[in-house]
Amino acid sequence: MEPQTLDSQLRESSAPPDDIVIHAHDLWKIYDMGTVKVDALCGLSFSIRRGEYVAIMGPSGSGKSTLMNLIGCLDTPTHGQYWLNGRLVSQLTDDELAYIRNKEIGFVFQTFNLLARATALHNVELPLIYSGTPVEERLMRAEESLRLVELGDRIQHKPNELSGGQRQRVAIARALVNHPSILLADEPTGNLDSTTGEEIMNLFDRLHQSGNTIILVTHEHDIAAHAHRIIHIRDGRVDRDEPLE
Amino acid sequence: MTSGQTPARSAGARRRELYNAWVTAREAFWIALDALYTHKLRSFLTLLGVVIATTTLIVVMSVINGMNLYIANHIANLGANTFVLSQFEWAQGHAAWVKAQRRNKPIRIEDYEFLKENLEGYKAIGATSQYPSRSAKYERQILYDVSLTGVTPSMIDIGQQRVELGRYITEPDYLHAAMVCFIGQDLVDKFFPGADPLGKEIEVNGRVFRVIGVARRIGTTFGVSQDNFVQIPLTSFQRVFVARPSINISVQAWAAAQMLPLEDEVRTLMRVRRHLPFTEKDTFGINASATIMSLWERLTGSIFAVTIGVVAVFMVVGGIVIMNIMLASVTERTHEIGIRKSLGARRRDILTQFVIESAVMAGAGGLIGVILAVLISQIVERFFASAVPLSGVFLGLALSAAVGLFFGIYPASKAAKLDPIEALRMEG
Ligand SMILES: Nc1ncnc2c1ncn2[C@@H]1O[C@H](COP(=O)(O)OP(=O)(O)O)[C@@H](O)[C@H]1O
Ligand SMILES: [Mg+2]
Repeated sequence: MEPQTLDSQLRESSAPPDDIVIHAHDLWKIYDMGTVKVDALCGLSFSIRRGEYVAIMGPSGSGKSTLMNLIGCLDTPTHGQYWLNGRLVSQLTDDELAYIRNKEIGFVFQTFNLLARATALHNVELPLIYSGTPVEERLMRAEESLRLVELGDRIQHKPNELSGGQRQRVAIARALVNHPSILLADEPTGNLDSTTGEEIMNLFDRLHQSGNTIILVTHEHDIAAHAHRIIHIRDGRVDRDEPLE
Repeated sequence: MTSGQTPARSAGARRRELYNAWVTAREAFWIALDALYTHKLRSFLTLLGVVIATTTLIVVMSVINGMNLYIANHIANLGANTFVLSQFEWAQGHAAWVKAQRRNKPIRIEDYEFLKENLEGYKAIGATSQYPSRSAKYERQILYDVSLTGVTPSMIDIGQQRVELGRYITEPDYLHAAMVCFIGQDLVDKFFPGADPLGKEIEVNGRVFRVIGVARRIGTTFGVSQDNFVQIPLTSFQRVFVARPSINISVQAWAAAQMLPLEDEVRTLMRVRRHLPFTEKDTFGINASATIMSLWERLTGSIFAVTIGVVAVFMVVGGIVIMNIMLASVTERTHEIGIRKSLGARRRDILTQFVIESAVMAGAGGLIGVILAVLISQIVERFFASAVPLSGVFLGLALSAAVGLFFGIYPASKAAKLDPIEALRMEG
């Protein structure tokens, strides 16, 4: 599918073709701070196909996190269209957004965002609770997911009993547990040392090989080098969009 | 690959929705218990209002229930459709009683004979006379506080005693003033454990009586055993203890409708017999269980009104405290809510979580209230009547959980409405 045809299709406000999982068209995010308005995203457009491994790079404050939150349906754009799996997100209800966050997107945060008082197992179980999965299946799948990130022997540990890398792996296990079609990671190695960061990236590589669509934000070139495509962002606009070999 | 479609509104989807709700609810239940366990003291203080309300409610219900049981067993159980002619009217104020003390004259055996002859249309009539508590002896064993009553044979049809073994006092016993007795189970327990009491001779108040029958066990009320009695023929009672006893006359009507006419007839007969001019009040008392019951019902009515007020005030205060704690908890856990929303929790999941948490918390308060009430009720039972009714336990628990539910709605909806990304930004 040529980009031109895609754009013309979108102008007619119809859904993008099937293998485009993410399509952003003229996305704006304006934070209204009362006295000042901050334009975090200024008319950003791009598409991502199923199975792609994309890194989003850009200086601090360029709007990477803002964009990721939009892609992850945690936030809504001020203007513009965002299509996810062929559906226009701005038309979805609150419950439908929750359903997407639950089933279709796995989000990995820089600060892990684990429940401090819960065990690794329970943290990983959470998405399954919200999808109404029966207990036995829930435990089985949560354990399986933790084994996948090589934490099968730490399931009863609480976050403060785990290292930074292990915490991020718990977060990844949680993001994967509902078999989402898209894995989003906002600076997943930002709080980790380089060796641990490399371990996490190897895990992402494996996940990509097994067919996941991965989008990750980073400002480190070493990390971005794992991806197959890099979208550079500057001042809320796409600066460069380049494939990697 | 899943497409971004929400489940279709089929029956299966609805069942799945229900199952979803159940899973979140159960999850919320454990979170709530965990929170209670982690903050024991804070939780207890939070729940004080609900605890007090539940305890008050159940204790009052227990005491009233205990009194009801007592009345049902003893006063109502004078026997169905029975009233008692005695020197005084029961359950009247102290002042009235002091006055009656001077005016009223005792009821005598002659009155009994007279009524038996002249009253018409009654089912049974009987007379009893009570001797102050005495001790009973058998061989070396002594039992204290035994109630000693002289009775007519007809009392078996009127009173609450039933024959368990042997027989009741009969006409021949009565006519010959036989030295026989009909005893309660306490005496059997004390004197004849495992042995046959019939035909044995026991000593009551220095006189020897032969046991001819044993009553079925009645139990205790007001903490006092109702099986600690000896009944003897009223004639024997006169012969060896009190020659001219003051008696009570029990009259049983055939049906409830005949109670009032029969009471009036007794009143008329007695007034004529005592030559009372129509300006003068009765110099005797006619006591029907209905009188006592209605008095008691009026009393319970006002007790309940006060209780409802007290309980309502404590519940509302307790509810407001819970609401505030829940609001604080929502603020404290904003980041957690953000995490949950980012993982797919819907508004109603968060709402359910906090409402259930609030209800479980209040319910736990209710449970503490129930336990306290049961303990208090057991103490009260020692010197007064009290019996915890199951309905009270359920009511207490349901009411406190409902208060938690109601006062949890506002904080929970605040939590549910949080924006996921803003909530995540609050560092927890
Ligand atoms: N909640 C917010 N309120 C106001 N301004 C915000 C908010 N979040 C982000 N911004 C602003 O938007 C811009 C982009 O931020 P962000 O997306 O976090 O950048 P990055 O992740 O690339 O560092 C920044 O100028 C930032 O100050
Ligand atoms: Mg950022």
